[in-house]
Amino acid sequence: MMVVTDDFVEADNAEAIISRIEHKSRKTESLLKQSKLVEALKTALEGWPPNTRDERCKSANWIVVHRAIMAMKDLDALFSSLDPEYYNILMKYLYRGLSTGDRPTCDQCLRIHERLTERAGLGCILRSLADTTNTV
Amino acid sequence: MAAVAVHQFAPCITCHAWSPDRSMVAFCPNNSEVHIYKLSEDKWEQAHILQKHDQIVSGIDWSSRANRIVTVSHDRNSYVWNYEGSEWVPTLVILRLNRAALCVQWSPQENKFAVGSGAKTVCICYYEQENNWWVSKLIRKRHNSSVTSVAWHPNNILLATTSTDGKCRVFSTFIKGVDTRDSKAGSSSDSKFGQQILQLDLSFSWAFGVNWSPSGNTLAYVGHSSTIYFVDDVGPSPLAQNVAFRDLPLRDVLFISEKVVIGVGFDCNPMVFAADESGMWSFVRFLGERKTSSTGPKYGSQFSEAFGKLYGQSKHGINNDGVDNSRQRGGVHENCITCIVPLGEAGSSTITRFSTSGLDGKVVIWDLESQQDLLEYL
Repeated sequence: MMVVTDDFVEADNAEAIISRIEHKSRKTESLLKQSKLVEALKTALEGWPPNTRDERCKSANWIVVHRAIMAMKDLDALFSSLDPEYYNILMKYLYRGLSTGDRPTCDQCLRIHERLTERAGLGCILRSLADTTNTV
Repeated sequence: MAAVAVHQFAPCITCHAWSPDRSMVAFCPNNSEVHIYKLSEDKWEQAHILQKHDQIVSGIDWSSRANRIVTVSHDRNSYVWNYEGSEWVPTLVILRLNRAALCVQWSPQENKFAVGSGAKTVCICYYEQENNWWVSKLIRKRHNSSVTSVAWHPNNILLATTSTDGKCRVFSTFIKGVDTRDSKAGSSSDSKFGQQILQLDLSFSWAFGVNWSPSGNTLAYVGHSSTIYFVDDVGPSPLAQNVAFRDLPLRDVLFISEKVVIGVGFDCNPMVFAADESGMWSFVRFLGERKTSSTGPKYGSQFSEAFGKLYGQSKHGINNDGVDNSRQRGGVHENCITCIVPLGEAGSSTITRFSTSGLDGKVVIWDLESQQDLLEYL
């Protein structure tokens, strides 16, 4: 962790990121078909932060994560096998889901939010709110 | 019980400081005054009221050797108070700020003090003998937002600052005529005044509360994202650790030994962090007791009612406890703790007593003598 400059550096161009997201999307879909729901969610959440400010990339990533979130059925299984390193990023996507206003999405996100808060504590919510640099 | 004394001085306290013999405490009751209370025969009596500032006093520090009090306020001024006869006599220090002063600290040798401000500057003030007044030198560059906290390194020259731009910075405050050049080659006294030694970009949100370890080797500061940052070997190649924790963010930190840090903040309960043999820092436990309600709200009784409404499910029921428990978290403080002050000998490497003050207007003295499990970490 060295001295870093203030400049926000675009690591890759948007096209490269979108193609990575498409690849991730295909992988997630196949995992969902195999009913490996937790694996699918982990795959969807991986590779973050995408280090970009491009809204299209963020939306593309959100679509993949949304798919995995909506497919979730067994929350106990989810939380017993999801590594804590995914908690913060999942919380950010839950808030994005809640902001859509779409009833099924909100219901599902709220259900997961309750369990995630229980697991990760209020600090997790704080981290998703306070970080205005790495947004989803 | 780790909390050995609790006293409610005012409805709300912004900051506090202790006299050298610890018999008097000075605090600001959330207005433009500083109240000094003296402990005589187990009762606190008001001894003095210092009235000079026009707005809230945001920082107080009481030097232990020279027995001087420095106060800074949102009115952009600072006063150094000397005890003459039986009165505290103020001396205005012209800080040359155009925004509020937010925090202040005497340097270890008490010949300088640092002020952090909303003007994105840090003022280093020192006493000029010839003119019999305090001069302010400004560090204008680098900060992009308000400076929330300042902390002096034991060598009296390096100063760490935290800011709402999320960064922690270390500067040299070497002043010719006040500081002496160290004979060790390559030490911090080679730097010029205002030179930035290090900038730490670990936090993505506001940074508060910075503190150095007793040896000056480690730095700790907190971010508003419920994270605390530890930096070892502060210098050209520092080692940083982020410790994210479960609960609400902290506002201030204190090293009570090389390996133990106490953090205080919005949970109204001091948190203990310790480093193991390999130098990895982690959260140990809360210092005060935590009340867990029998109905089992999992997020702390303060929020159970709110969460019940959020999740809208009948299993949370009509949580009657929720209403009463909204303030009572079972801890000693009932509102955010904003300030933590050591109560040991100045410059000692291990502290077992410290005090906290918060927005609930209480000053609480904590003693770790009874906390066997924590004494092992020290």
